[in-house]
Amino acid sequence: MLQNALPPDSQSSQTLPAARKGRSLNPLTWLGELSESRYWAYLLLLPSLLLVVAVIVYPVFYGVYLSFQQFNLLRAGLGMKFVGLQQYTELFADDDFWVIIKNTFVWVFGGAFSQFFLGLVVALALNRKNLKGGPLARVLLLLPWVIPSVVAGHMWALLLDSRLGVINDILVKLGILTSYRAWFADSNTAMPAVLLVDMWRGTPFFTLLLYAGLQSIPEELYEAAEVDGASGWAKFRAITIPMLTPVIVAAVILRVIGLVNSPDLMIVLTNGGPGLATFTLSLYAFQIAYENFNFGAAAAVSVIMLLILMVFTTLYLKFSGVTKNT
Amino acid sequence: MAFQNFRNSQKSMRRLYDAIAYVIVACMLVFALGPLVWTALTSIKPESDIVTNEMQYIPTHPTTEHYVKLWNRSGVTTMFRNSAFTTTLTVVLCLLVGTFAAYSISRYRFRGRGGILTFYLTIRMFPAVLMLLPLYIMLRNIGLLDSLLGLALTYTTFSMPVSLLMLKGFFDAVPADLEDAARIDGCTRLGALFRVVMPLARSGIAATAVLIAVGAWNEFLFALMLTNSESSRTWPVVLQLMVGEFQLPWGLIAAGGMISIVPIIIFFAFAQKALVRGLMVGAVKG
Repeated sequence: MLQNALPPDSQSSQTLPAARKGRSLNPLTWLGELSESRYWAYLLLLPSLLLVVAVIVYPVFYGVYLSFQQFNLLRAGLGMKFVGLQQYTELFADDDFWVIIKNTFVWVFGGAFSQFFLGLVVALALNRKNLKGGPLARVLLLLPWVIPSVVAGHMWALLLDSRLGVINDILVKLGILTSYRAWFADSNTAMPAVLLVDMWRGTPFFTLLLYAGLQSIPEELYEAAEVDGASGWAKFRAITIPMLTPVIVAAVILRVIGLVNSPDLMIVLTNGGPGLATFTLSLYAFQIAYENFNFGAAAAVSVIMLLILMVFTTLYLKFSGVTKNT
Repeated sequence: MAFQNFRNSQKSMRRLYDAIAYVIVACMLVFALGPLVWTALTSIKPESDIVTNEMQYIPTHPTTEHYVKLWNRSGVTTMFRNSAFTTTLTVVLCLLVGTFAAYSISRYRFRGRGGILTFYLTIRMFPAVLMLLPLYIMLRNIGLLDSLLGLALTYTTFSMPVSLLMLKGFFDAVPADLEDAARIDGCTRLGALFRVVMPLARSGIAATAVLIAVGAWNEFLFALMLTNSESSRTWPVVLQLMVGEFQLPWGLIAAGGMISIVPIIIFFAFAQKALVRGLMVGAVKG
């Protein structure tokens, strides 16, 4: 940059074009020189920004735009037609939609609460000093989190199978059940069963984060409380929970986003059934898009999901009070 | 005396809590590993021992027939190649793009730096399904629908924010003095990045690569929607479609599941510590 800014005298005006040419011949040298310029910081960010804009930002806006259109990919010849809020009003007028909304809330809050609670219990157990085998247990407990949802789904379909399921067999042998049950086919047990499978996959995430959060609480706080004669429960309430709150909030938000957005387990295990018992918004949007190719309606459902998430995140951040300190 | 009693009761309380902790961890281990173990056991039982009236807990006739049968099934090796290719491409692209962005944010102080970081972290709130539809249309328009490249580009973008955060942490740990020294010796900034910073952060880069690879290897929803021919299907999709179409016998499903998680478990064993740190960075700062 600096060299270019120098006033060209008679000598360099002859050598400059040649130097330029040499530069462009070797892209590495050219890049190296570029890296000395003050635009380098921005240039480095450029590829990632381009990707994010093309693959995430633009599609999101386009998706919102689609939700105001009549657009069916199977009848692409009809093209797009602006229909305003019609996709939304049609959804709201549909009784099934409200059942699906209710299911979504059961799925998301049931999942987030059960996984958070179990994760906290396990994290507290792992956090006890001189627990033998702690490091190995931590790694093994994390495994379900990296198992793909499709495999997890099929594993549990086998475990809970109505004829060959080992869980049925164990429960019958223990005398808890009198006969085998079809967990995923009974509308009373289908949702709890899918929640159990997600608990298997989702709990390690909470365990990991909460354990890390517990580890970062300074020991001195507990020692000071002990000098003051605080009981275990008092210490838990006055030190552990407040210190852990930022981690809890972050973990819950991330898990809720995951629960709202991914229909994977339902696709593998129940396909929403029996009836509408395990139908959630994400599965609904996916089915409208994948099976009917009605992209306008599917976009409207996803926009509703986004709105629910945004409202939830805002309210949760506000009421948990974590944003005040940071 | 009273003090002694207090100490004793405290000690026994502590022992009680320890015992409870062991019980909790043990139960949780059974819960977490039980399904994996059962699937592994099922995958080596002959079908006649899976479909029985009397549940068989320990395989009496261990066999590898399901693995052999699955491997010889048409399309299975293709799907593995597809998955391996997509995963590799995603890791390479994501590391490249992520490294540049992370280096920029780690080393430079410029206007909009904090904003960019926050922006990259909030984008994961957007529902996947909402992006799926426009992506489908876009990829179709540019001819990348049903292609491994299109899939890899999508995965790259979704993994990028977390990779960026991880890499930034690793780059922050490399002293800037070393880079300055290299630059005095005539290295350009770019040269310093490749010759000094990246070699020093290589274990961190490897961990990031593992995290990206696990994500790409496991992904299901986008792969299902954005590919439709056998030549570009990845294995989670093929596994799911095979089960749906042919009412696959359990032995094959179990074997398919086992084969598909072996790479992940190997990855995991390799980079377990760094992976945990990466997951945490990604989650807590999100």
